[in-house]
Formats: sequence, C-alpha cells, structure tokens
Amino acid sequence: MQKDPDYYIQGVLDANRLMLSRTITLVESSLPAHQELAATIIERLLPHSGNSVRLGITGVPGAGKSTFIDSFGTLLTELGHRVAVLAIDPSSSRSGGSVLGDKTRMIQLAASEKAFIRPSPTGGTLGGVARKTRESMLVCEAAGFDVIIIETVGVGQSETAVASMVDFFLVLMIAGAGDELQGIKKGILEVADAIVINKADGDNVQRAELARRQYETALHLLTPDNPLWSPPVLTCSALEASGLLDIWQTVTKHRRIMTDSGDLTRRRARQSVDWLHHLLSEGLRSWFYNHPAVRDYLPNLLRDVEKQSLSPAAAASMLLQKIYR
Amino acid sequence: MPHHPDYQKWEALATKLMKGKPFSSLQWQTPEGISIKPLYTAEDLEGLDNVNSLPGLPPYVRGPVATMYAGRPWTIRQYAGFSTARESNEFYRKALAAGQKGLSVAFDLATHRGYDSDHPRVTGDVGKAGVAIDSVEDMKILFDEIPLDQMSVSMTMNGAVIPILASYIVAAEEQGVSHEKLTGTIQNDILKEYLTRNTFIYPPGPSMRIVADIIGFCSKNMPRYNTISISGYHMMEAGANSVLQVAFTMADGLEYVRTALRAGMNIDEFAPRLSFFFGIGMNFFMDIAMLRAARFLWHRLLQQFEPKDPRSSILRTHCQTSGWSLTQQDPYNNIIRTTLEALTSVLGGTQSLHTNSFDEAIGLPTDFSARIARNTQIIIQEESEICHVIDPLGGSYYVESLTNSIINEAQKIIDEVESLGGMAKAIESGMPKMRIEESAARKQARIDQGLDVIVGVNKYQLKDEKIDFEIREVPASVRDEQVDRLRRIRGTRDQAAVDRALAELTKAAEDGGNLLAAALPAIRARATVGEVSDAMEKVFGRFVSTTRCISGAYASEFQATSETLAQLRGRTEAFLQGNGRRPRMLVTKMGQDGHDRGIKVIASAYADLGFDIDIGPLFQTPQEAAKMAIENDVHVVGASSLTAGHKTLVPALVEELKKQGGEDILVVAGGIIPPVDYDYLYERGVKAVFGPGTSVIDSANRTLDLIEKHLGPTA
Repeated sequence: MQKDPDYYIQGVLDANRLMLSRTITLVESSLPAHQELAATIIERLLPHSGNSVRLGITGVPGAGKSTFIDSFGTLLTELGHRVAVLAIDPSSSRSGGSVLGDKTRMIQLAASEKAFIRPSPTGGTLGGVARKTRESMLVCEAAGFDVIIIETVGVGQSETAVASMVDFFLVLMIAGAGDELQGIKKGILEVADAIVINKADGDNVQRAELARRQYETALHLLTPDNPLWSPPVLTCSALEASGLLDIWQTVTKHRRIMTDSGDLTRRRARQSVDWLHHLLSEGLRSWFYNHPAVRDYLPNLLRDVEKQSLSPAAAASMLLQKIYR
Repeated sequence: MPHHPDYQKWEALATKLMKGKPFSSLQWQTPEGISIKPLYTAEDLEGLDNVNSLPGLPPYVRGPVATMYAGRPWTIRQYAGFSTARESNEFYRKALAAGQKGLSVAFDLATHRGYDSDHPRVTGDVGKAGVAIDSVEDMKILFDEIPLDQMSVSMTMNGAVIPILASYIVAAEEQGVSHEKLTGTIQNDILKEYLTRNTFIYPPGPSMRIVADIIGFCSKNMPRYNTISISGYHMMEAGANSVLQVAFTMADGLEYVRTALRAGMNIDEFAPRLSFFFGIGMNFFMDIAMLRAARFLWHRLLQQFEPKDPRSSILRTHCQTSGWSLTQQDPYNNIIRTTLEALTSVLGGTQSLHTNSFDEAIGLPTDFSARIARNTQIIIQEESEICHVIDPLGGSYYVESLTNSIINEAQKIIDEVESLGGMAKAIESGMPKMRIEESAARKQARIDQGLDVIVGVNKYQLKDEKIDFEIREVPASVRDEQVDRLRRIRGTRDQAAVDRALAELTKAAEDGGNLLAAALPAIRARATVGEVSDAMEKVFGRFVSTTRCISGAYASEFQATSETLAQLRGRTEAFLQGNGRRPRMLVTKMGQDGHDRGIKVIASAYADLGFDIDIGPLFQTPQEAAKMAIENDVHVVGASSLTAGHKTLVPALVEELKKQGGEDILVVAGGIIPPVDYDYLYERGVKAVFGPGTSVIDSANRTLDLIEKHLGPTA
C-alpha cells in the first residue's frame, strides 16, 4: 500500500483508471490511517473538482435503473462525455458481505473506455455511504469525468442522502405496477427534479403514457422547490434506447436555467453547509458515545430505563449533565 | 396411525432397536420438502389416482408404450461431439459399429451462440465443448457415410437453431434424402436457456416465434421429426431438485403448446411431436418417481387443450445421467454413479438414454471412457434381464406414494407459474431462476457440512489422487482449421446469391414469414451459421440477460451454532478491521460458456461468509473482466470455466490485468479443469485452481490465505 498522497493525486489527475479506483478504496476504507490519507488527497483534489453534472438516480426495485444507466450512459459517451457511475449496493445485515451485481446490467457501458463504474457496498451504515459517495464523486471529477451518476436503491433513506449531493435528482418509475404511486414515498417526489417512466416499449407504451399523466397530476399538487423549475414527467425505453436524448436535454436545460439564475451555485453552497452540519452532528455523536463518562454511566442508565425505574427523559438529562461538567 | 393388524407390533420392535433415539428420527426430509417414512404399507396407496393404470393407456404413469422394454428396449443415444466435424464423424461411426442406436450431436459454444469460428469473441470456445459447425459443408462432413434417412439424429441446439436445423436439412438434401424421411429431435427449448445455460441469442419474444416457426415447418414437411425436446436436464444440473425440475419442465411445455396454438396450429398437429428430456441424479427412488409423475402430469395438463389424438398427451422422454454428480476425485466411482442413475432412468421408463463417461469431470470422453459408458447401458439391456417386465415398480407402496407426492408438490409450483401468466412471464419475473439457485446454494451448504455424502469428496477421500488414464485434449488447431474452411467457402461461393438469400431472411424476420423456410435458400447458397444468425439479429437484436443473485440461502442451511460458519465470518470481520474493507472478489465467466451455477453458488455463499462479491456479466472477454476488476479494485478475480476454455482465457486475463496495471490483483480459477492443466495455469500466474468438489468453505479459506499473504501484515 502506497502511503504517499502525491502518488494518488498525480494518478487521479492523469486520469489513470487504476489510481482513481485505488483512491476510492481509500475513501471508502474504515481504517483511520486510510481516512486521513484520503482526507489529504481530497483536500488537494478539491480545486480540480466541481466541473461535472452531478446526477442522482433512484427508482423502485424493478424500474430498470441499471438498464437505464447502461443505455443513458452509453448515449452520453456517444455525445462525447466521460461518465462515472457510483452505485450503492445494500449489504446483508447478517454477514456484512454483499453481492454487487450492478455491472452485469451495464454491460455496454462497463466495456466503454469513456466510462468508469464503481459499485460500493453500504456496509450497513447509510451515513457512511453518504460521506464516501460524496468524496468519491469529487475524485471522479478530478479525474476528468464530466457526468457523475449516483445510483441508489429505491428503498430506505439513501435517496435523500443522494439528493443532497447532486445537481439533478431523477426518479425512475414504471407503469403497470398496480397502484402507480405505490412504494414511492412522497418525500422522494418532493426532491425529484424529473420523473421518468421507463419501459415505454412494446404493448406497454399506452400504460406508460397513462402513468406519465398520473404523475404529472400528482406533481402539480406539490409546490415546486424552485419557482424556475417544475419537475417534468417523461417516458423512455432503456431497452430500445428511446426517449433518452429528451432526458439529457431536460438535464442540460435545468442546468442552464440554474446556472443563469445562480441557483446552481446556491444549491451547491447549501449542500456544503448541510454537509458541514451533518459532519458536525456525526462527529458530536461519535465524540459523545466515546466519552468516558458516557461509557461509565450509560449501561446503568439503560438498565434502569428498561426496568422502568427511571424515565428516559430523566436519564438523558442526567447523562448530559455529567458531560457538561 | 396405520391400521395394519401388526403395525403396532412392528413399531414396538423398531422402537426397541432404536436404543432410546426417538422413532421420529427415522423420518427423512428430502430437499424437495417431501417427508419420507421408514416404512410404507398398502394403506399408503389408498386414494392415489396414479395407481393401478396400464402402460400405453392414460394417465401413462406406467409408460408411454404398451409393450415398453418387453417389446423393444430404450434407445442407447450417446451425446457426443468435439473439435472438428471430421473427428466427431469418426467417433460416431465407431460408436454405431459398437452397438449404439442413435446419434446425439453436441455443438461448441460458438455455434450455439450463432458466431462463426473466426469471430473475435469466441477465440477460447471453438471446438471445445462440442463440434464447431460453421456451414453446411461442416454438417456434410459430420454425417459423412451416415445415411440420414435411416439414422435418427438428435441435436442439442437452442440458440442458433435456425441455421443448424437448416444445415442438417440441406446436408440431407445433398445426400438425396427428402425432408419427410428425416427422423430425430432438435432440442429447440429456448425457455430453459434463459433459466440455466444461457446459450440464447435473441430476446424471448423472437425466440418463441422461432420455436413456433420450426414447429410449423416440421409438422408440415417433417412429420417424423421431434420439433422440440422440453428439457429439465439443465435445470437439474443448475441445482434444481426433482420437484423443481419436473414442475418447470411441465410449465415450459405448456408455454410451447400455447405458442403453437397462438400461431394457428391445431393441438393434434404438433403435440405428438413434442418430446422431453430429464436429468437423473443420485436420489434413486426420487427420480424414478419423478419420471412417472411427469407422465401423469403432462397427460393431466394437456386435457385443457382438448386433444382428440391420444398421442398428444403422452410424454415421451430422453434421459441423461447427471454430469454434476460426477467427481474429479477418485473418478472411477463415477462408473458406479452412472450405473445407478442409468438404472433409475430405466426403472422410470425412459425412451432413450445417455450415460456419462466417468472422466467427464476431468476432460472430454476418450474412446475408452465412451465404451464403458455405452456398455453400462448394454449390460443393463442384455445381461440383467430387467427388460422383461414393464414398470416393475408399479404398485410399490413407496414408489407410488412418492410419485403422488411429486405430482402434488410439482402441481403447486406449476400453479404458481400459471398465476404469474405462464413460464415466459415467470422467467421475466426471475422466480424460476431464483428457486433453482436457492436449491443449488442449499445443496452446496449440505455438501460442505458433510450432510449430503459424496464419496471421495467429503467422505472416504483418497490421500493421493493419481490419474492413470488418458485425457483427451482439444488441439488448438481446431480454430485454424475452421477459419481456413470459412475463408475457402467465402471465396468460392456466389456472393450475390448469398446476399440475396440473407436479405430475404431479414425480410422474413420483419414480415413474419417462416424463418426456417426462409433460411434454407441461404444455407444452400453456403451462407454461414454466423451470417444466418446475423441476418435475423438485425431485426431481433441480441439478448442481454440480467443477473440477480440470491442471498442467505447458503448460510441458512447451517446450524445457527455452526463453528465453520462463525470461524469464516470471524475471519472476514477481522480482515475488515485490519484492512478497512472486506475481502472483495470479482467472479467472472469469460467466453461463451453460460453455465453459471458455479459462480452463482460462489457469489451467494461468499457473500454469506462476509465477502463483497462483484459478478461480471456473462460472455465477458478477458479485457472486459480486467477492466472491471480494476475499477472495482478487487483483491482477487475468480474465473470459472466449465467448457475447456481455461487454457486460453484465464492466462489471457492475467495478461490483461498486467497490461492495465492491475498485476497485484490475484487470479484464481474454478470449474472443470483437468488436474494436468493446473501447472500450466500456475506457471501463467494463476494462484489457485479449485476443481469440482472443492468445498466452498475450503476455497474461501484458501482465497483469504492468498489475499492475506499477498497484502502482508496489517498495521
């Protein structure tokens, strides 16, 4: 293992695929030494980052996310872009291990020299994923990728974490899965910059169109986040590679509007501030639970609360008092 | 409680012999979920509707033919094919002279997937797991001096079924044999390819149309030809238990029947020409009962289509002994396994049979091993006096009861498939594949714990394995020879005529004309297998499968207190603590080999043991696999090969890793790799080879050893 940050920094700036990959490994590592090294590298790569379209993609299981990214990403490479895909895969909670099969569904894109695909296990903690993905994104930007796609599973809280680090959040849906709004939380629609109904092919075209109108109605009921942008609902077929250019044009149009109005800069600035808050609360939490006083007293308090001889509020207050002193 | 007058006496006696162990411990729960008692009595037959029928009559439990083997024994039909058409032809002629009755052709994977031998994606596959056929010229050599009006020929072809069947028909034409005289079977069972073996070319929709076109063409022009062989064999080999095998095979059959009906055919026009193909494993009575249950089920299921011709609902089947049950360790044991499986097939009432050669877990069959395999059947037919009595197990309390259990369990799964809208829809949902893979992972977990015994593998192992027999090798020159012949054909044919015929075929693909009929002129004009496939691909596209992987099934077969499991999970956890991440491995299959049971079991089991596993897409090139390994920054790549591509593809992967800067990524290999090739692979940088029968626990431990040694001491 190389310990010299320059080794990685130079490699990433030279767009060396192996170095990019190894740097992400450092970013993802749970070892403090690796994290320190990664922090140094990120700090130095920061001036070279930020020049990409950051695109978050989520969707219900079965919506065809990977097939979509395969076709969509391939289109982007054909348009001359360099595309990095960061895919977040859930780990098994019991063994901690995971099967990361995403590339099997992005065959075309995976073989392209203009693409880099990296699936990452969640390792069971979503907070950790958010940090790792955000930093991996910066590394990919420094390596010259100008479109970064972050794919998340359509369940759990990872979507909102991803929405808070991208410029454009795309929610992928399909028609004909029974209740059209089933399985998708209102919260996700609220952060969506566009909804795309996939699998508009074969005898499914009409149903997709119907679903598109239903989502449009549903979105009308929400107040848009930004008065300049009401999230559109589009249809596409990743299988037949149709409707994809429209989606990309929507993304670029959004970017133009947001750049011109200064909203993009503000959005990223707000994300940085949110991120700072997030890091602070994470740090506080970790500091708190590792504090000797907490370690000493917490087990007893837990027992008392469990026995109902002490109220949770009283227990919390007692413990916090100990720290304040 | 059974009311046999002596039952209680028997139970008391038996309990005494149990010396304190509970009587209920004699019950056995099969992997199919069927509970087996230690004793069956007349009462177990009460109310069963599979009992007391006669052979040749509905519901055909006792056999599809009234006289069965008493009239004529089953057909000895050995599946074979390797390297070139010339070599395979010589092998066939020798086999026929030595008592074999029918031919069964194995094609190489390049042919299966519709690629000519000079295609860049198939360099490791040509002539490896079967014969390479690029054009009708190869087909003519394959059947040289074998009169196709007399010889029944079975062809295992599903993907490139149009050019291959057309080449066979044209080869016969050029022997002077007209279409209606042809007898034999084309496998043409594309549905199971999406489930298990992955030798498809087009998406399911167009593929089903091809099936319908072949049924349509043959029912008019080749009345003695079996247009489809609905196959459970590959499901069993992929890990399906006997209930899953029979259920999914029946469900596939229903889908084909509906496809033909939708294409406007009458049930009695084609249903009598449907045949089946089952795999027979080591669970002796289970698979006898499975064959009997299959005939019952098919008859019952077909009634909804109201056939007038009784032959429409008779299930006729070919059987093959299980290749998966063969071991590389102590390989002569395989002769015994195959003998038992052959007996299972016979007692189950098969119409034809292939017996495997004992060396097939090590390499391709030799003349010697093929002779033993063939003689296994001849000895049962001609020495054992088994053939005189029809369905000798009919009425057996146990076998009839088991037959009934399989019928009921399978029907439940068939109903489940039907409720999803039939097998094509079920396959889209991923359900059947997941079931099979779960069954495979559980089986592996039982073997790894020694609960399922495999002699020589997890019990009674030999200290020193010595191979004292010849191993057949495919010479590397096969590809050169094929490429040469392709060049000659392309140089001498009337190119304009070929182009015209191919354009007509593409048009038929667009307009819905019969594809087999449209392919014949192209093949006559010497268009190649690859060109004919491409002409249709222009319209249909090439199918890309999605890989899903189950999790938890392997670990759940272990006791919660299992130390083995805890030990390995402890190791991966410690690895995480020391290295900041879990051991990460890419499993890949390179070349056209779609047999993915091995990598699926490995992926699922290793993840259960605490690895992070990346699965590469099927049909990767070494270059693509190396790129993926580097982007995912894995510690190790596991390359699986079951079809003899290991000597080209695995060293090519090592080279590619070097070229792309990932020389510190380890490479291990697994699958059917002859031990004599291990050194060849080690010399080319492969760190470990895991042959068939390696326990997952074992390979995981050794892989971890390799990674840890390579990384050195952690901070």
